Amino acid sequence: MKSKNSEDKSKKKSFFFEDYIEPESLIDSKKLDLVKVSLSRVNFLFLIFFCFVIIFSVKITYLSLSPLPNKIIFSEKANKNFIKKRGDILDRNGIILARNIDIYSAGVRPSLVKDKKKLLINLRLIFPELETHKIKLKLKKNKFFYIKKRLTENEKTNLFLLGDKSILLEKYQFRIYPQKNLLSHILGQIDDDNAGISGIEKFFDKNLKTKLLINSSLKLALDSNLQHIVREELIGAQSDFNAIGSAALLMDANNGEILSLVSLPDYDLNKRFSINDDIYTNKITKGVYEMGSVFKTFTLAAGLENGIIDQKTMFTNLKHKIFCAGRKISEHDNLPKNLSAEQILIQSSNIGAVRIAQKIGIEKYKDFLNSLNLFKIINFDLEEIGTPIPFRWGKCKLATASFGHGITTTPLQLARAYAILGNGGYEIQPTILKTRSNEYEQKKQIISTETSKIVNSILRKVVSNKEGTANFANIDGYEIGGKTGTALKSIEGVYTEKKFNTFVSLFPISRPKYVLLVILDEPKPAPYFVYEFSNGYKHKGEKRNTSGWNTVVVAGKIIEKIGPILAINNLQASNKF
Amino acid sequence: MNLESDQTKYQLDPHRWISTLPSRSKEKGNREAKKYSIGIILFVLGLVMVSIIKNETRNLQKEITNLRDSINSINFELYQARLDHDVITSPENISRLAKEHLESDFNYYKQSQIRHLNQKEKIFTKLEKTKPKKIIMNEKKNKTAKKVKKLQITKKIKINETELIKSQYIYSKPKNSPHNIKSRIAKKIETKKDELKKFYSDPYEIIKSKKAQQWMGLQVVKVFLGIPIVPGK
Repeated sequence: MKSKNSEDKSKKKSFFFEDYIEPESLIDSKKLDLVKVSLSRVNFLFLIFFCFVIIFSVKITYLSLSPLPNKIIFSEKANKNFIKKRGDILDRNGIILARNIDIYSAGVRPSLVKDKKKLLINLRLIFPELETHKIKLKLKKNKFFYIKKRLTENEKTNLFLLGDKSILLEKYQFRIYPQKNLLSHILGQIDDDNAGISGIEKFFDKNLKTKLLINSSLKLALDSNLQHIVREELIGAQSDFNAIGSAALLMDANNGEILSLVSLPDYDLNKRFSINDDIYTNKITKGVYEMGSVFKTFTLAAGLENGIIDQKTMFTNLKHKIFCAGRKISEHDNLPKNLSAEQILIQSSNIGAVRIAQKIGIEKYKDFLNSLNLFKIINFDLEEIGTPIPFRWGKCKLATASFGHGITTTPLQLARAYAILGNGGYEIQPTILKTRSNEYEQKKQIISTETSKIVNSILRKVVSNKEGTANFANIDGYEIGGKTGTALKSIEGVYTEKKFNTFVSLFPISRPKYVLLVILDEPKPAPYFVYEFSNGYKHKGEKRNTSGWNTVVVAGKIIEKIGPILAINNLQASNKF
Repeated sequence: MNLESDQTKYQLDPHRWISTLPSRSKEKGNREAKKYSIGIILFVLGLVMVSIIKNETRNLQKEITNLRDSINSINFELYQARLDHDVITSPENISRLAKEHLESDFNYYKQSQIRHLNQKEKIFTKLEKTKPKKIIMNEKKNKTAKKVKKLQITKKIKINETELIKSQYIYSKPKNSPHNIKSRIAKKIETKKDELKKFYSDPYEIIKSKKAQQWMGLQVVKVFLGIPIVPGK
């Protein structure tokens, strides 16, 4: 208690004035306390400020690192970021044959439809051909459905301007073929998943999807201008000769580049529909046919190559008909009894060809044809490739094969064989792609240059001589040489009266540069067609429908028109002066 | 004593408190405050600078992206335009338009036609080369003479034409014709009248005239030779 009292006493101030004056030390200590407080406040404020700064700096770094905001899908800017999913296909002149573009399809989400009547009216205004009762039924089902795929630019903008949430505009890439039907058999098509399903689109599917080709393009050897001319002529020929189909192939005889490949009937690549009819097959690459007398050239060439005959070798006492295993082999016309090897080809004598083949023998003849790769599957840039029908060699087969009967191959292989015969005997590989020709590249020689020269001269006579079967193709200035072929079509193993006509030509024959093959499927006689001979004489009312009276005429017309484009020197004209 | 003792007791010892004075810590505090404030100012300045630079870079980036967008859009337009061009200029389209708007003669030119024209030209040039010089000179002279004659004839024709036009104009409007012409015509009429009067008044003199005698002689000869006097009878 005492201590307590003493403490209280000590705290108690005295009555002196000094007691009430605070000492300076005390004042300083108070100030120090105040400074301490202020510093702690600054620290606190700084901390808050620092926090803000950190937050903002984090935000800034986030913004700087984050990519630009994505564009709205349906706007003009959307097209700026267009990225192709598939490379372009161009022809040899750089003309676009296939290209991807953005396209829209419109669909309806029935769950989001507020006013069905209004929607139907609007849709009817935009699509007048739309069947509203079907749309009504679909709206009732309450499931998403498409109104129209591949919208036009106007339809798309009109639908967008409706501002209806229930209408969904879906963007996807669509492949456009600006040339429509022109190259349908070559280009082929793609499916909705951007995968090639036929033609080049299928064969080069992977290549077309690679970055390299997406940024550049796939360049073909084809010339769309030539293709158009050839196609137009074939269409005209089909109507003139009432044929069910036709085809043509124009190939560079020296490097195998295909400049034109037409097969009719064709189809518009932009309109997708399933084609199941055989008539739409690619007749040049996929079709396997007996092509008749065009094989006589090989028979003669085999004889010349093996040194068994020369062009003047005479074949005497040729009968008008012979029999082999009970089957008759006869001539197409009344031909002379004695013919030289050259005349056999010029006048297209069946019996003469049989006699040459018999002289050559089965083995040598077979080897020769095999060297031209006529009966194996050809290596080509399309998947649509035909397989020649296999057969057994025998005496009768030798006889019939000598004039192209009972022996099949594809027109592409036939054209290749003729190119080899014409170019000096060098092997070529048909291709649809534009190749970089290498002059120094050594090519394999299959046939001797001499044989090639002799065959070329005889082929020229087939066209230029009066007795020849291809006079209508004797176009002034182009030195055309070729061989006709008329074969009877076999349907389900039975030969019919229906014909399959072929004409293979080489031009200019003094140094063949191009091979042109023309085919007419089931041509009929054309009594109203006016045939114009080189001497100006006109003929009408023809009843024959052999190759010389149709495919030759067509080939002549084609060469006359494509000749100036191919820029062949008018050798005959320049030689006259 | 007590008072003194109390004074001593409560007397402050300055030395004792000097060490405890916050004079030194005060300076320290001030310095720290300065440091903080400078730091804060620098930081704020840095922050402002960062935001300004960031803004600038962002603007630049926007410009770059805009330019990229415009390049892309131009490329896309070119991409579409090329497709349109190839559709429009497809051989099928061109041949259709040619059929509609061009004459059929323009379609194709036959090789034989070109040769024919060349042949003609060459024949002419060959012939010109082979001609002798004299013939060429004569031909040239003839040509020049013909030209001169032609010019003379055309001049005459022109003069006659102008005279004809003038006379037509004069005779179409006799009232407007000038006085000289009127008087000339009047004189002519009067002389004719006088001649006629003489003929009727004194026909013997007319028979005596040379012209009439010549005519009479001619008719007599005709009678002897058996030629009809009146032509055609």
